[in-house]
Amino acid sequence: MSHLLDFSLPPNLSAKEPPERRGSRRRDALRLLVLNRQTGEVTHSRFERLYDFLVPGDLLIFNASRTLPASLSGWRASDKSRVEVRLASHLSDNSWLALIRSTVPQDCTVSEEKNSVISFEFGLNARLETPHREIPGMWKVRFSAGGSELMDLIYRLGEPVRYKYVSKPWELNYYQTVYARDPGSAEMPSAGRAFTWKMVLHLRTMGIETAYITLHTGLSSYLDDELDRRHPTIAEEYSIGAQAASKIGVARSAERRVIAVGTTVVRALESAAQADGIVRAGHGYSGLMIKPDYSLRITDGILTGLHEPTASHLELLSAFISPVFLNEAYNEAVQLRYLWHEFGDLNLII
Amino acid sequence: MNRLNRKYVLITGASQGLGRQLALAFSREGAAALSLCARNLDSLRVLKREIGEIAPKSKVIVIEADMSRPADIERLFAVTLNEFRGRLDVLINNASALGPAPMPFLLDYPLEEFQTVLNTNLVGPYVAIREALPAMFEQGGSVINVTSDAGIVGYPGWGAYGISKFGLEGMSQTWAAELAETEVRVNWVDPGSMNTAMHRAAEPDEDPNQWADPADVTEVFIYLASDESKGVSGRRFEAQKFNPVEAGR
Repeated sequence: MSHLLDFSLPPNLSAKEPPERRGSRRRDALRLLVLNRQTGEVTHSRFERLYDFLVPGDLLIFNASRTLPASLSGWRASDKSRVEVRLASHLSDNSWLALIRSTVPQDCTVSEEKNSVISFEFGLNARLETPHREIPGMWKVRFSAGGSELMDLIYRLGEPVRYKYVSKPWELNYYQTVYARDPGSAEMPSAGRAFTWKMVLHLRTMGIETAYITLHTGLSSYLDDELDRRHPTIAEEYSIGAQAASKIGVARSAERRVIAVGTTVVRALESAAQADGIVRAGHGYSGLMIKPDYSLRITDGILTGLHEPTASHLELLSAFISPVFLNEAYNEAVQLRYLWHEFGDLNLII
Repeated sequence: MNRLNRKYVLITGASQGLGRQLALAFSREGAAALSLCARNLDSLRVLKREIGEIAPKSKVIVIEADMSRPADIERLFAVTLNEFRGRLDVLINNASALGPAPMPFLLDYPLEEFQTVLNTNLVGPYVAIREALPAMFEQGGSVINVTSDAGIVGYPGWGAYGISKFGLEGMSQTWAAELAETEVRVNWVDPGSMNTAMHRAAEPDEDPNQWADPADVTEVFIYLASDESKGVSGRRFEAQKFNPVEAGR
């Protein structure tokens, strides 16, 4: 994709630690950049003041997907060379899409062969079935175990996907929201990470409704700068329960605001919306790319993180607010040294 | 029968003693799904086969996990919630570690053993409730912590076990208070003296025949797991004094 916004992100604005490990000891100790969708007005606040921008009757939708330890270390059965299998998405035929890369030499994506086998501890094997058409190193992979057995082994073998800007290898529990329920995300749906249970409970007492859906996120990077600039989409699995669908329907009918906690929620809801604009309970895969000219049917606002200049998320945000306003706000955020990435500050567009 | 119809249940320490009897009793009462965990997977597999004969329609998964290890608990819930499609109605924190047997006085307690007992009996249930809450927050749920009279009286020689149960009682009260405005209920049950391997190890000089069979103390757990106890939270129960009539059954 082309650069929608004109800003550069200094490396020192990457959040290297979770906020509760930056000294405050609180996961909600973050800054909040608030943008008015219509006027572009910018307000600088704190995440714990989120209530100031919500009104009774608002419906917040959370993504209850749980982050997997999606980075599995194994070895090629053919020559015993070490590889990392980075899970990206669970497919409907119970196979997985996974990025395969050599770990010796480091960070090298090599050519694999169809039907080659990767082995892991505990007797687990994975057969490479089909290469992805657009993403080098990405394969459709079938494991020798399935269901509960495979989930158990993923947790025994895996580490969370981490990027170089973090200060240490944070454990998996740092990559979870407090309400994470359904395991399946390759990376944390991080927009909701700052919520505490105390805050969620307080929202209810304020008359702000909450609902939970699931969309399992894929990988945010394919470890190739050029590829990441284009970021070909991988369809992501989602499910919306009857309770959430009902709450959304009632809120829409009453013209109350539906606010997505994260881009993943926007994609799930907009994918699940039928032609009549009604979200029905169900399960599916979303490959929806939301562009600036997309007309949002379900969501009125979004709470999200701050995204890199090349991230496709910025296109999605531009469906909520003019890219001109967004550009001004992002430049201000850089000047004011907001922090980026999964442990970073937050942005409410409403 | 069928008092636990459609309930999805997770029981820790299910391979023997009270946990095993709870799994059997819950399956007889029609629990839709049981996630059973313990350190001994072979015993759990035997139990699973037994339940398959009693209640062939119940879904049963067995998971090896050590409740003193948070990473194991994280795995336990991920596997369970994956299999149960995000649903969990009942969590029973039953797994307990006794510590060294015969039980030393606190002055003589090995520190590492002390920490292991607290990790299993107190920190483990804390982590488990945190993991269960996302599945229960919207739908409601029942958390039942297994305590002991050693959690309200400081008996000499009951060392880390008693201290961990004091902590569990306090933790249960705090969870119940913090979740009072939700549909998640937290109660704790003292099963009383039972003829279990743990109790025999704790008091090897006593006659175990004077103690209750763990199969005979399951009624209060069924009550608390079922909708019969709707609205009941923040309460301590003594299993061997439980009166179903007084409880409204």
